[in-house]
Amino acid sequence: MSRYEVNVLLYRLKKDATFRSRFKEDARAALAQAELTEEEREAFVRWDSRRLNELGGSLHLLISIPGLGGH
Amino acid sequence: MGKVVYAAAMSHVLYPDYYGKNVGPHGRRMVEELIAVVRDMGRDMLAAKPDALVVIADDHLNVFSFDAIPAMCVRIGRSVERMVQDDAIEFDRALDGLPQRYPLHEDLANRILEEGMEAGFDFAASWSAPLDHAFLSPVSTLCGQAPVPPLVPFWVNCFIAPQPTARRCFAAGGHIARVVAAGPWRVALIATGGLSHFPGLSLARVGTSDVAFDRRLVRLMEAGDHEALSALAMKDLDESGSHEFLNWMVLVGAVSPARARVRFFGEMGRIDLAALEWALP
Repeated sequence: MSRYEVNVLLYRLKKDATFRSRFKEDARAALAQAELTEEEREAFVRWDSRRLNELGGSLHLLISIPGLGGH
Repeated sequence: MGKVVYAAAMSHVLYPDYYGKNVGPHGRRMVEELIAVVRDMGRDMLAAKPDALVVIADDHLNVFSFDAIPAMCVRIGRSVERMVQDDAIEFDRALDGLPQRYPLHEDLANRILEEGMEAGFDFAASWSAPLDHAFLSPVSTLCGQAPVPPLVPFWVNCFIAPQPTARRCFAAGGHIARVVAAGPWRVALIATGGLSHFPGLSLARVGTSDVAFDRRLVRLMEAGDHEALSALAMKDLDESGSHEFLNWMVLVGAVSPARARVRFFGEMGRIDLAALEWALP
């Protein structure tokens, strides 16, 4: 289920500009309610896209989130 | 009696700025060469006067979310909109400036869907899914300033495991061909995407492709060896980065036993760009 949660968050970061702004402002607070492992949470907070990809995060989402994506 | 009047497959990020940024002048030049070829192919397609254009392509988690990923999906309804992405980056920018709305060929889409269900294909249906670059970059390049024929968008899940098998995609193409043959319309078919890029869907491997694998695919299409293509395993498509060849397999199934002719093949390093046409009886 964790892979699902990682990708739901990545999808929300791509599609939900308000959530994306909150995440950029304070990633840890934005993820407070998310059901993530500590490793996943830290990868989000550090925005370690390679680690998120290794943890099951969709490549296509990781490269296309405005202001965070790119490769 | 209906007829497939044109069939082709091509890479679908026909956007020089993307490759200029991510590859450099060499990438920009190569995709510009491909665009010129696809425009020429479009003239052939439009000269065949299709009543409908079936576009077989994939979603990039722009339309479908992890809530539900259909293995294959038919877009039904009367019109379809292009995807809007705020602050679009990378290949999503290929949609900038394109028309917002496109007509659908409602009757053909409904027949593919409904007769598919009767024939054992559990296609999903969407009344609202918009189209991303996988559909509209090739369509807009093929059609140029000419009106776009009524579309039948057909999605294949190329990226989210478990994907449909190559053999199942081939069979779905056969179904589309039977629906076309039984109907009254002249139909153009295109499949888009690929060839090899993003092997393993690994961020660490972005920038590489598997040229040997793709050259084998092309040889098999030229030879009309559709059994060998149908036997391709998803793990091989994933490892090589040729996930989107599943779209091509639907088209191959629709035109089998026709053989392909290569219009373009370019080794960019980051991706193998390609455009092929099929000689139809």
